[in-house]
Amino acid sequence: MTGIESNAAIEITNLRKVYRPRSASPVVALDDFSLEVVRGEILGLLGPNGAGKSTLIKILSTLAQPTAGQAFVEGANVVEQPLQVRQSIAVVLQRAATDVYLSVWENLVSYGLFRGLSLQESRAKTQETIEMFGLESQIHEKCQDLSGGYQRRVQVAKTFLTSTPILFLDEATTGMDPVIRRRVLDLIRRQAREGRTVFVATQILSEAEELCDRIAIINEGRLRALGDLHSLKATVREVYEATVTFEKITPELIDFLRSRNPLNLEQRANTVFLRIQASETEVLRLLSEAISRWPAVHVELSGASLEDVFVSMLEESPDRTERGAPA
Amino acid sequence: MNALGAIFYREYKIRTTNLVWLFFDLLVPMLYLLVFGLGFTRALGGSFTVDGRVVSYNEFFLAGVLAMASFGVAMNASWGWFMDRDSGVFDEMLTYPITRRQHLAGKVLFSLLLSVVEAVLVVVGAALLLDVTILWDGWPLVLLWTVVGTAGWFFLFSVVSIRVRRNDVYQTTINVFYFVLLFASNVFYPLEPMPGWLKGVAYANPITWQSDLLRSATVGFSSGLNLWLEAGLYLLFTVGAFALAAQALQKHE
Repeated sequence: MTGIESNAAIEITNLRKVYRPRSASPVVALDDFSLEVVRGEILGLLGPNGAGKSTLIKILSTLAQPTAGQAFVEGANVVEQPLQVRQSIAVVLQRAATDVYLSVWENLVSYGLFRGLSLQESRAKTQETIEMFGLESQIHEKCQDLSGGYQRRVQVAKTFLTSTPILFLDEATTGMDPVIRRRVLDLIRRQAREGRTVFVATQILSEAEELCDRIAIINEGRLRALGDLHSLKATVREVYEATVTFEKITPELIDFLRSRNPLNLEQRANTVFLRIQASETEVLRLLSEAISRWPAVHVELSGASLEDVFVSMLEESPDRTERGAPA
Repeated sequence: MNALGAIFYREYKIRTTNLVWLFFDLLVPMLYLLVFGLGFTRALGGSFTVDGRVVSYNEFFLAGVLAMASFGVAMNASWGWFMDRDSGVFDEMLTYPITRRQHLAGKVLFSLLLSVVEAVLVVVGAALLLDVTILWDGWPLVLLWTVVGTAGWFFLFSVVSIRVRRNDVYQTTINVFYFVLLFASNVFYPLEPMPGWLKGVAYANPITWQSDLLRSATVGFSSGLNLWLEAGLYLLFTVGAFALAAQALQKHE
């Protein structure tokens, strides 16, 4: 499989990565991992700490070499054709990466030059990107004087300076305030609509939920689930979340709800948050009965969230804490 | 712009936004020659004999300062790897569309440029301010051994800065290098009066070879060792250090 004839931007086959630290036993970071990412797609990679997300991005961006298996990025083999791979990618690594002694302007211009732009082109693109990311007031400030959130913004902005076909984002919005985070997510969506493939590793489930076309869940270096949001949610059947605000909450009401063995039951003032595993009919019957006996002013009912899917996938790996991978 | 141009732009911007660094790279060797050289000239009473020839301490010390300058530029440049790693840029740069060898070459070429400017300042300063008689037709060799010297030391120190992850371990290692290599050599004093064991270390020390080659090119005398042999060994040292540095960078994950 080379990806040249297919519509795959990224093809990963049976990838394995074993780290061999000097003072500890080998750590399996990726194990028989296979995945295909289609051009123009936003793929979210979810997993707990040490699941192998960053290792995967490092291999795909030619920073690390796999122990076994193959990976192709835009048809180029990550081991045999690293330069071709680098020509088609832009990467935001998990760690902050800005030249701290250079200004925001110099950081971006310098990045543009590394991407092959002329000085003039790089300056023009830098101006555009600075406006796009709302960095006008910080343009001449050295990065060492910026807050972590702003430094992260500069780091992400660099990858928007040129339009490489593939964008890797590893926890890219960490430290950003909600307004700029939303702006960055909008920009990512816009880039994907224009055909850029975006590979997002994140632990922010809501971000994955609102941004990604497909979501892959990784744990212990293995792919645990892959699909769009709805198909993933369908894997966690019969889990419902209800939020009910009653006129008055009595001990009898709480006893009544507890008797149905909910997965979770919380009470705040007159509102009850209930997470219950049952068929839809049974849940509706329970709520109707409760409301008929204890009048309610507000009711919300929703199916499984991405968090439920995520937790359910992790619960299938009981030895999770005994293994791990360096980020 | 090509990879080399991009690396030069970045290095230039970093150096010019950090004047202390630039000061150390360009002017400290000259100050060394002025202060240390003058002090020793007075202390030694004006002149002494090297390889059967009576010379002033400034004449002798000039090549030592040039070798030290190469050493210093290389040390500061290799420290740049550490700074890049601390700021997270090191790994990010390895995802840019340049090869790791281009990365290494760009950094070393910028350092070579600095060391050449520094060598010119030192030699011209020695001639104008300290009345050292310079063999001006030896310029090509002065520049050659400055460039080869800086490259060799940069590659060697890069191996340390790429492989060692802890700042304190790096600093200690480099200080040991600095102390042993500079003092067990003919940078500050001639080899003849040294005790036998120290002379043995000095003969095997690349900075002795570099000082001899520079001394011969600038003022026309050396330690009496075979200059062709020293030149061959020094080139070998630089090529070997390059191979080790390239390997260290290639293996970095």
